[in-house]
Amino acid sequence: MSVPRWFSMFKKILVANRGEIALRVICACKELGIRTVAVYSEADAHSLPVRYADEAICIGPARPSASYLNIQSVISAAAITGADAIHPGYGFLSEDANFAEVCETSGITFIGPSPDLIRLMGDKSNARRKMKEAGVPVLPGSDGGVYSAEEAAEWASAIGYPVLVKAAAGGGGRGMRVAHAPVEIAAAFEAARREALHAFGSEELYIEKLIPEARHIEFQVLVDHWGRALHLGERECSIQRRYQKILEESPASPIRAEQRREIGAQVANVLSRFGYTNAGTVEFLMDEQGRLYFIEMNTRIQVEHPVTEMVTGIDLVRSQILLAAGAPLSEIAEGEVCLKGHSIECRINAEDPATFAPSSGRITSYHVPGGTGVRVDSASYTECVVHPYYDSLLAKLIVHGRNRQEAIGRMARALEMFIVEGVQTTIPLQQRILAEPDFLQGNYNVRFLERRQGRPELVAK
Amino acid sequence: MNLKEIKELIDLITEKGISEFELERSGVRLKISRNAAPRTEGGILPADTRPAVASISTPAPQLVSGTPSSPSAEAPLLLEGLHVVRSPMVGTFYLAPTQGAPPFIQVGDRIQVGQVLCIIEAMKLMNEIEAEIAGEVIKCYVENGQPVEYGEPLFDLRPAVSSKKHP
Repeated sequence: MSVPRWFSMFKKILVANRGEIALRVICACKELGIRTVAVYSEADAHSLPVRYADEAICIGPARPSASYLNIQSVISAAAITGADAIHPGYGFLSEDANFAEVCETSGITFIGPSPDLIRLMGDKSNARRKMKEAGVPVLPGSDGGVYSAEEAAEWASAIGYPVLVKAAAGGGGRGMRVAHAPVEIAAAFEAARREALHAFGSEELYIEKLIPEARHIEFQVLVDHWGRALHLGERECSIQRRYQKILEESPASPIRAEQRREIGAQVANVLSRFGYTNAGTVEFLMDEQGRLYFIEMNTRIQVEHPVTEMVTGIDLVRSQILLAAGAPLSEIAEGEVCLKGHSIECRINAEDPATFAPSSGRITSYHVPGGTGVRVDSASYTECVVHPYYDSLLAKLIVHGRNRQEAIGRMARALEMFIVEGVQTTIPLQQRILAEPDFLQGNYNVRFLERRQGRPELVAK
Repeated sequence: MNLKEIKELIDLITEKGISEFELERSGVRLKISRNAAPRTEGGILPADTRPAVASISTPAPQLVSGTPSSPSAEAPLLLEGLHVVRSPMVGTFYLAPTQGAPPFIQVGDRIQVGQVLCIIEAMKLMNEIEAEIAGEVIKCYVENGQPVEYGEPLFDLRPAVSSKKHP
């Protein structure tokens, strides 16, 4: 490991997460020679992260609010084990500015950006304003919060229908409502407000123009403590159901090299100017004319990060750890990064293919595919229990090919060879997506799955 | 080890057709044997497992549990059913309010409901752990200043007779 003498690597990292991402962080730590602490709820006592970490501490009962979301327990576990850094993974405490702040005051490095930047980007309405000021194109929308149905109606007619009413603290499609016409705006505003309050404890809303046929494109960026920023190209995540991503790929079919270079350099510059550090993802919508508009930023590692790793050869979690320890960007990459070949990821969720309801229970048989260009990130195993308390992600199946066509063929055979018994999975759905002519031609957008919902051969068995 | 885990173990052992199974973990020994005559002399059952065992008829598994050290000597205590005080949080265990001060309790003490047993420090917060039942302190599992996990056993209490009706 060639690290300059003037930054010191962590000795022990606590992984404040569960499932595949906890295991992913443990892998990166092992390769860097860093000891690991797994924290777990009672439901996860027999999980793989607990088994593979050097130490494991039970921090509470199954309920996430009493364990993985309990800041006091996580910090306390770091204190008693002497961990000098915490990796939050995704979800749970990963975008909680207060948690990052508590880490800081407890003398533990939070592996991610500073609390201020998490807070800034966590307020979606604020983030939008900052990006607009920095010259990044944003969708037409309200400048700041919208606090009444009347105000919402005014903004909506100024922008032009259809519009999206969104929670400023939102994410994951919650606290979000569409209004197609003036008659719908009051109801959309009220519904979004209720949902936002319930889901995020904040009822602040903002309004944005809805692009019905948009593609979801996001750029991966890394920034070091000296403001040097690097973009690692984009990912396309337009195959979604209820705003949940099902399949992602990199590079995105509609992005040309010049556009990648231009937008990538712009977001890298902007984040550097904001004082952002560590890994981050800037999300855009692309309209039918191929124009990109900023929608939000995620200040953590993303579920779909492996597709970027496959085409760039850069380990993003390892990069996060190095950057948090104060390593310069040159430790990670020299110069511009080019994307090699094509990568696709399928999120294998445990769910009923007909109703989409999470399918919990015991996995009775589990076999993952292998072979050239196939990677599986998973914490599942035969006889493990899929709990109803947590998200239903069983595994991420990732393939790499010399081109998109090769990657699709590889994914198709890998899905076929992926065996999961005992719970139902999204595998049949993903197999059907891969067989769709529009998908094969790269001709799709966020409505791809919604359009096919009436077609039982695609969404149900 | 909780009741649910024991039940799962019994199911697994029955399913796989294993006739005898023994497990020793964190001060608890569990022995499950199928098709064996019920043991009376060593049939030591923690109070909270009784309902489960009562519902199992021969030739279903018999549950035998005890501490690994001198089980026969401890048997009478266990027969009465011990109450295990578990850590409600992860943190550092303290037996006394400050360094050098006398401990809150000692083995052999009789304690009242609401009496402070120990402190668990989590993020500089001193959380006093109170007794939920009245009884006698039989055992302390943890040493002063030692880190504890959520759910880790701290003390064994023998419930006082009167508190048995309102556990």
